[in-house]
Order: sequence, then C-alpha cells, then structure tokens
Amino acid sequence: MTMYNQTTDERVDKALANSFLRQATRRATDRLRNNKYKAADELGNWEEWRAAGEAIRKNVISNLDYYLNQLIEQMEKRGVHVHLAKTPADAVTVVRNIVREHNAKNVLKSKSMISEEIHLNHALEEDGVEVVETDLGEYIIQIASEPPSHIIVPAMHKTRQQVADLFEPIAGHALSSDTPTLTRFVRTQMREKFLRGDIGITGCNFAVASTGSIVMVTNEGNGRMVSTLPRVQITLMGMERIVPSFRELDILLNLLARSATGQRLSSYTTILTPPKNTADPDGPEEYHLVILDHNRSEILGDKLFRSSLNCIRCGACFNVCPVYRQLGGHAYGSVYSGPIGSVITPLLEKDWKKWGHLPYFSSLCGACSEACPVRIPLHDLLVKLRMRKTQSGHTPQVERQIFKAYRYFFTREKTLRRALRLGARLQWPFVRNQRITGGPPPLSNWTNSRTLPMVAPKPFMQLWADLKNKR
Amino acid sequence: MSNTSDFISNLASKLGRPTPTEPPPQVELSVPQYRLSNTEERVSIFMQNWQALGGKGAIVRSADETLQCLKAWFGEQPITWFKENSQALLAWDTLPTIAESAFSSLNWPLTRYSQSAFDPRDRYSIAANAELGITGSDWGISLSGTVVVKSDPLRGRAISLLPPRHLSFIESTQIQDNLFNVLEEVAALGSPPAAIEMISGPSRTSDIEMDLSIGVHGPIEVYVIVIDH
Amino acid sequence: MKVSLFATCLTNALYPDVDLTMAKILKHLGHSVDVPEGQVCCGQIAFNSGYVDDAREVARTLIDAFERSEVVVGPSGSCIAMIHHYYPTLFEKEPAYLKKAEDLIHKSYEFTQFVVDVLKQPDLGAHYKAKATYHPSCHATRLLGIGEAPLKLLQHVKGLELLPLPEAQLCCGFGGTFSVKMPKISEAMVAEKAQHVLDSGADILLGLDMGCLMNISGYLEKINKPVKTMHIIQLLGEGMKS
Repeated sequence: MTMYNQTTDERVDKALANSFLRQATRRATDRLRNNKYKAADELGNWEEWRAAGEAIRKNVISNLDYYLNQLIEQMEKRGVHVHLAKTPADAVTVVRNIVREHNAKNVLKSKSMISEEIHLNHALEEDGVEVVETDLGEYIIQIASEPPSHIIVPAMHKTRQQVADLFEPIAGHALSSDTPTLTRFVRTQMREKFLRGDIGITGCNFAVASTGSIVMVTNEGNGRMVSTLPRVQITLMGMERIVPSFRELDILLNLLARSATGQRLSSYTTILTPPKNTADPDGPEEYHLVILDHNRSEILGDKLFRSSLNCIRCGACFNVCPVYRQLGGHAYGSVYSGPIGSVITPLLEKDWKKWGHLPYFSSLCGACSEACPVRIPLHDLLVKLRMRKTQSGHTPQVERQIFKAYRYFFTREKTLRRALRLGARLQWPFVRNQRITGGPPPLSNWTNSRTLPMVAPKPFMQLWADLKNKR
Repeated sequence: MSNTSDFISNLASKLGRPTPTEPPPQVELSVPQYRLSNTEERVSIFMQNWQALGGKGAIVRSADETLQCLKAWFGEQPITWFKENSQALLAWDTLPTIAESAFSSLNWPLTRYSQSAFDPRDRYSIAANAELGITGSDWGISLSGTVVVKSDPLRGRAISLLPPRHLSFIESTQIQDNLFNVLEEVAALGSPPAAIEMISGPSRTSDIEMDLSIGVHGPIEVYVIVIDH
Repeated sequence: MKVSLFATCLTNALYPDVDLTMAKILKHLGHSVDVPEGQVCCGQIAFNSGYVDDAREVARTLIDAFERSEVVVGPSGSCIAMIHHYYPTLFEKEPAYLKKAEDLIHKSYEFTQFVVDVLKQPDLGAHYKAKATYHPSCHATRLLGIGEAPLKLLQHVKGLELLPLPEAQLCCGFGGTFSVKMPKISEAMVAEKAQHVLDSGADILLGLDMGCLMNISGYLEKINKPVKTMHIIQLLGEGMKS
C-alpha cells in the first residue's frame, strides 16, 4: 500500500488536488449527516439518548475486566474457542493457525475494522489463501489495494468508472458503470464465493456479556452470509466492544444505526449466540472469538484518554468534520481516519514519529464532540494528545521556543506593548495596500493564501491609557 | 497468547482495583421510548415503515385472503419457476396454518429446507437456486419496519437470505412498538438461539458514489403478510 | 454596573477599534467601564498547541488582572470559551487558583451574550443599511452555547437585512495555530467558507470572533472579492453613530 510510504504533506497535497475525492467526500458526508439529523430528531429526545449511551459506555469501560470475563465464561461454557490477543501480531497468528488447521483455501470476510487494524488480509494471502472482502465497499478497496477512506463508506473515494475498471479484469469483459450493473456483477461474483467459503471472518459491533452473544449490523446482508454459510466462523473484536446485556443494547443499536446512516435500524441486525444447535440446518459448526487488546489496556489505564474507548464506530464525527470534509480519509495515513482516528491511532500505535501529525488534523471546532452519540469529547482529547506529545519532547525545537517567547511577552503587558510598537514599525516591508501580504515563516504559511491586517500603530491598551491620561 | 486470568487481571490493574466479584450496578435508563396504543396501530405503522423501506406487505384474516394476496403478488410466476426448478419455493418445516393451506390450495409445492438435502452445502445450493424463501417470524418492530426471526432446527437461516425473494408471515399480536420490547423478549429467553436475525427491508448498499442499490447480497424483494385473527 | 473589559490579544494588537467600540457601547448603556492593567491573553493559543505550562502562566496573568473585577466582558466567544472550559483543568492541581479561575468563569461573558442575556438590551437603536450574513463561530456556538444573542442584536439594527449563510456550521479553518501549522488544509477550509459567504449574496460578513473574521477576510482579500467583514461590535458602533 503505497500511501503508507508517503509523507503527511504528500498525502495532503494529493487529497487536495483530487477534485473528485473532495466532491465525493462532501456528497457522502452531507448525505449521511442530514440523514442522521432526521433520524435523531425523530426520537425527539436525542440528548437523553446520548446521555444514556455515554452512561452505558462509561459503565462498560470502567468495569471492562468484569464484563469481559463474563463474556469469555459464557462463550467458553458453550464450547466457543476464545483467543486473547495482546498484539496485532498475536491476533494474526491465531487466525493464521485456525486457517492452517482447517487447510482452508477460501476465506470470506465481512466488514471488520479490527482486521484492517491488524493487517490480516496481507498475512493470509502470503499463506496462499484467497481472502474475499464481501462488503461491496471493502471489496472495491481490496481490489484497489487501498485502506478504507471512511469507516462506514470505505470506497467513498472511488468513481463508478474506477469501480467498473477495477471489476473488468475479474469479469473478463467490459462493464457499464451504472450502479445496477456493478451491483449485479458483484452479486453473481460473490454468490459463488459464498457457497464455497471454508471460513468466515466477521467483525463485531457489540458483544453482549450476560449471554455471550455477538451483535453484527450490515445493510448488504454479507455479514449474514459470512456467519451462516462457512463451516467455521472467526469473529474479531476489539476488547472494548462490550455491552452488559440486551437492556443496554437497545440504546446502543439505536444510536449506532441512526448516527451512522440515519436508519432506524440497519437492514440486518444479527445476534449470534454461538455455536449452533447441532440439529440446526445451517450456521457454523465451529466458532472462534478473537479478542484484541493492542494497547487498549494502556488507554484504559490512562485516565486522560479512557473515554476514547467509549466509541461505537458509527462515523458520525467524520460526517461533521471540516478537515475530513476537505481531505477524505487517506490523507490521514492511518487505518482509522476522521476525528476518532486522529485520537485513537496515536494511542493504539504508540509512535509519535509516524502518527504525531494526527492530533493536528483538526481546527478544534468541536463539531465532532457535538456529533458523537456517546458524547466523547473528541476535540478535547486532540488537545490532550498535543499536550502529551509536547510533554514527551516530540514537538519541534522552534515551536517550543516560540511558545517560550509567547509566555514571556504575554505575561508582561507593558513589555508586549513595546514589542507591538516595534512590530508596527518593522512590518512595513511586508505591507501592500495597508495589509500584510508576506513575511518570514511561519507567518508565510498564513500570507501564502491570506493577507493580514497591519499591527495597529498603538495597541488598545496604549490607546486606553492615553485616553485616561487626557481626562 | 494470554490466558484469561492474566488478561483480566491486567485490566484490573489498569483500572486500579481488583475485579469486582458482584455484577456492577446497572445504568439507570430512562429514555422515553416510542409507544403505540394497540395492535391495530402497531400493524398499521409497521406496514407503513416496511413499505417505506421497499418491502411489500398485506394484512390477511383467512387462508383465502392469503391465497388472493399471493396470487396478486406472484401471479403465474411460480408455475414458470417450477418448470425449471421443482424446489423453487423453499420454506421452514412448518409455517402458520393459514400459510400452509394457502400454498396447498394454490398447488404451489413447498420444499422444506431442513430436509432438502443431507449435506449443508447442498442445502445452500438449493437455497441459492430457489426463487422464493418463505418463513414465519417471531416478532415485528413497528418503529423500524422490522421482522425478527430466531434460528431453530426446524427452520434454517439461509431461507431468508439466499433466495432473491423473501416472504415472511407474522402474527399481528407479535408486532412490538420498538426494539427495546423485542430485546426484552430476547432477554427473557435466557439463553438465546444461535442466531436472531432482524430484517428491515431488502439488502441494500450505497457504496458506489452513495447511490442506493438493492440486492447486492441478500434478497432483492421482500414481502410480509401480517396475520390478523 | 461596573464592567471590566477583556481586550483580547488579537483585538488589542490588530483591531483596537473593536475594543474601543465595545467600551463606548457599554458606556452608552450606562455602565462604567474599566480596563484592568496587566491583562494580555487567555492563553488559548498555547493551550490548544499542547503547551499547557506556558498557557497556565498566561492564564494566571489574566486571572490576576481581573481578580477585583465585578463583571468581565470580551469581544470573543473563543477567548471566553477558553476561560470557561479549560481553566478548571489548567489549575486542577492548584486549589487557590482554581478558586480564582472559577470566580472569573462566573463573572465573564462574551459581548453579545452579556448585552442580550445579562443586560437584556438587545435594541441598541442602531441603523445600518446593508445586506449582511453572519458566521456563527465554532467556540461561541459549540462551547459557550451562544445561539440567539448575536442574532437578536442584529435583528434590532434598522435597515440591516440578514441573509442566511449556507453551511454556516462549518468551521472557517482558522483554529489558531492550525492555520499556520496545517496551512493547506486551513486554506481549503477557508476557501469553502469564503465561497459560502459569496453565495449568500451579502455585502458584509459579520461575526463575533476576530480570529475567524481575520481568516475569512484575509482570504477574500487575497482573491480580490469585495465582501467587507466586520465584528458585530463594529457594525453596532457604526450604526449607533447615526
């Protein structure tokens, strides 16, 4: 995946130069956002639902050990194989081993962000296994070898023509690029794959601790295919994806469907309580649950960032974010993009060099926090990440010096007054038509696209003092 | 790989306390829920919402009305299907009485999925080749236009999934106001069945340029018949 | 009432007339106005960049300056939001200053909020004939919950026609240091905002935060589009002269 090798600037430039991408991002986010408003308004008391959602998630996270233990007990009691993976590598190994044990050649996948997080497909393909992403959007980006550009609409950045071009070599003939043709092609193509899948890998939207059930929502029905047809099923879940019981599930499913796409419920909501009854005519005979930590336990122990584990992966923050709106997901460079991606990626990956740019992909406008159905203060968390980065010495020397100077002058009003008057005299080389139109970096970052008003000959504090003296 | 107790005790240490031995207190939930006053209202709102999602629906009171409804929806199509495929209509082992008698009066033979083949893979092929999957349902949800189906040895999950059309029957009294009520029923089961499928309309996707498209994987046409006694 | 002005660092240095006009309006409404010495800045620019220790000292200076004030009013939703939202975290480990910070929070207001919600004087008797549109700044709206106050003030300006701003909720791309740290993203954002301003058909863009207005006007200037930008205070000041 080439984009991982690009620098942040290169990715940003590339995104900003791609007018289709930007138009598509606006279209998708506008649509999803407006649908969400309708679905939220309809409940008439959205804020109460949000408060309930937040309370449920907080309760789960602050008792995660209890609920996780309960989930595992329930699952194991019924013969489900539960695997606890500390790292992405551990999780990959677990899946690889299951696939090898069964000598499986065809692996079907329904949408799972965890599988993206652990880069699973690549590892399985190395073993000579055919891995098929069955969600239409995921299928498109799998063929294109790209990461998702939106958590809910992963192939949002592709034009229909690009999709047709990607499908043509598989179809072996030309395809018209209208949606029904492309959809029909995928239906036919996938049918055959569904029927010969050896192992199904799914994600997990919620895991109900009290009964050991897995809840999965899809609109296409691919989640149902993958969890019904193959003989063996593997579910990948991030360890925080728990809900205590069915009582709380109602709130979270409502918040998820309405926030994600503006639906009252997704087309298919599936509650799996594996394994199947031996007499059931279908459903997997063998069930594995892989629970991934990947530094989530570190986040749990870090009070500043614990609330980021409350996320239910609805994507609502993407759809209101003005930065995401301009860039789409790939410019972030990370598997999880958008506001929540900018928060959790540095925490999950623990690599400031690679992911240190993400907390700055925000103007801190707060639209994300306002949109979050479980009230995660996302923009505050971004500020706290900047603080963490600063305090651990990962910000540039120049920046540190600038803020040292800021602190010096901005705690001494009289000194600042003199500095400003000096500035007012020194600004002239950069002034055209009473506006500052150029300057040394970092000022030039501003003046490249904008002008600035001139520093006033007398700052207000001086003007006021002068007025007072006159009286 | 970690063993469970290490994994859990690591979390407890991150939370700075031992793992609770008693269930944590439940969160107080007081969101105002969507409520309707009677079955008639529930059926009517359910139907509205189901149709808004692109499903077809009818309310019937007898086997004869069911028969008329099936005729109106499918006409002579099944006759054509049977010429190619004697297993075109695939169903649960038992459907509501009204449904059973309507199909037998129409002389549209039903293939029972669970008995259709010995090997599950063969059953899947039969389901994939069928034209219409026919099921009952355990509950309905008015607010979202949803039918809810439990798995069971005499039923089969693929029937509502693989054929291009899915028809379900539901008793009017089984239609609930909202998801919360259905999940209460699920919780009351104690140990839920292997799968509970909540189906709200046909298979849909907007993955290509946000353009809505029906039937990428699951059924393209969905029908519901509400049995009102 | 005895009102202390918080002349924010930006208006102090670049737009002193905003502060001066604010003083005049408050005096006109019959209040005595003072400008406590020593005040400089809320500290947001450092805080939002992750330099909390530097931000804390700047914030401390501000708290000290207003310690004896009854009421503090500033011409910026963003700076007041900084005080209200982040000062408690900034001083969580210093009980003495935490108390002082809370005092400041309880007595500080953004200008439109103060005039409309506290003084309850939305009609300042201003006349200003123009077509204008209003950009609801993010921090004022989302962090301070300012919704109606500025609109009420503007509705009472005779001759002023207020046109809707498309996608008004979108951030203009200023974001303090964001505008220079992520200049290209910021530019893309302000370009869209500027387009919406032009689409509104207004001759004047109004707002209650000079940071956002400086950003949008700076861009409009650069692309040679003649939409005037004004702080609501500036428009009221002009309108009250007549």
